[in-house]
This record gives sequence, C-alpha cells and structure tokens, in this order.
Amino acid sequence: MLFSPGWRAPVRQGEVLAVFTSGLLLGGMLSAAVIWLLSGLSAPLPHWARASAVLAAAAAGVAREFGLIRLPLPQNARQIPPDVLQTHLRRGTLQFGFELGTGVRTYVSATAPYVLALALLLAHESLPLTLLTGAAFALGRALSAALTYLARDAHRDTAIATRMPMTKTATAAISLSALALLLL
Amino acid sequence: MQELTAGRLRRGLTDPLLPVAALALLAVAAAALDAAVLCWSSIGALAGFSLSGSV
Repeated sequence: MLFSPGWRAPVRQGEVLAVFTSGLLLGGMLSAAVIWLLSGLSAPLPHWARASAVLAAAAAGVAREFGLIRLPLPQNARQIPPDVLQTHLRRGTLQFGFELGTGVRTYVSATAPYVLALALLLAHESLPLTLLTGAAFALGRALSAALTYLARDAHRDTAIATRMPMTKTATAAISLSALALLLL
Repeated sequence: MQELTAGRLRRGLTDPLLPVAALALLAVAAAALDAAVLCWSSIGALAGFSLSGSV
C-alpha cells in the first residue's frame, strides 16, 4: 500500500503522495476535457430536457446505492498492474494516479462518478467549469490517500471499508439534492 | 497514555466520514446560493472521495 504505515522505499511518502495527486489531476482533467467535447452533442436540447435527464440519472444513482434497483456499472473490470510501481516508483506512481484519475482504466465501484460524468455531459457547462470539476474529482480521490497517509493507522483499511457504504449512499443523495437545487 | 490519546485524536480527525459531511454541506449550500462553480466542484470532490479504497 502506497500510503500505509510501514513504508520502506527510499522515496518519502509525502513525495509519493504529491506525484500521485499530480497524476490524478492530469487524469481527471483529461476525462473532463473529453466529457466537455462530447457535451456539445447535448447542447441543442432545451434546458428542461437536459435538467430532467440529469436528475433522472442522479435519482437512478440514489436508487442503486440504496439497493432499490440493480444496475450494473459499465466499469473497466481491471486492476492497474502492481508492477507499474515496482520499476520506477515516481513514474509508476504518476501513471497509477493518472489511470485512477481518468476513471476509465480500472474499477469504479460507486455510482456517483457515473452520475457526475452524465451530469457534465448533459449540462454542457463551460470548459473551465468542467475542467475544474474534473480537478475536484481528482482532489477528492487524492484526499482519501492523504487521509490514509496522515492517519498512520495500521487498521485504516477496516476504517474505510466500514464507512464506504454510508459514503456512497450519502454521496449519491447529496449529488441528487445539490443538482436539483442548482438546475431547477 | 499520551501516545494512545494522540493516536485516537489523529484517527478521529482523519475519519473518512468527516470530508463527506463537509463536502455535502458545501455542495448543498453552494447549490442553494446558485454558486455553480462551488457546487460542481463539491459534487466532483464527493464523487472522487466515494472511490476511497486501499492505495
């Protein structure tokens, strides 16, 4: 684990976290740029139609997280090979962060990132706002790693695992509420 | 004893639910105030954080 206690590599963990965050930012902003380009296709639709579709997607996300509907996620069911970290730690960490940041190169186990991508695709916001949202996604992902690093807790995996169901349902519900307030 | 207290405090301050609560408040408040940039950013950060795992 990159940010768990017991680190023995010759590179400081803080430096690894900075490189990892840079990779996440690059990946997140690249995906956001692609979404913004594709969002031009939804631009001719009227605002009410786009807002309704965004809220329907967000509501489906909430229903899925609460177990009310079964909806398979179109995730890339692949783990990033661990050997990317074994030869060149800095370059490998950057690649690892980049692949996680894009959100399309490995497992995405929560509904919220899909809702976010669909919402950006349908809302057709400005390029700076879309890129900023992609960067925020990356920083949210990096925050989890930063907290693991700062916690210095040997049982961190358990702490995360026990809180993940609530994190996912809360995120889905808040996304729906905030988007409804913003778009209606 | 002091070590134990510091460790518990650190674990409490880095609890994974704290950022969720803070970002959730920020997202809803920003949406209510029509602050689109802040709202989208908060929803984005929440979505990223919802993928927390063992890295």
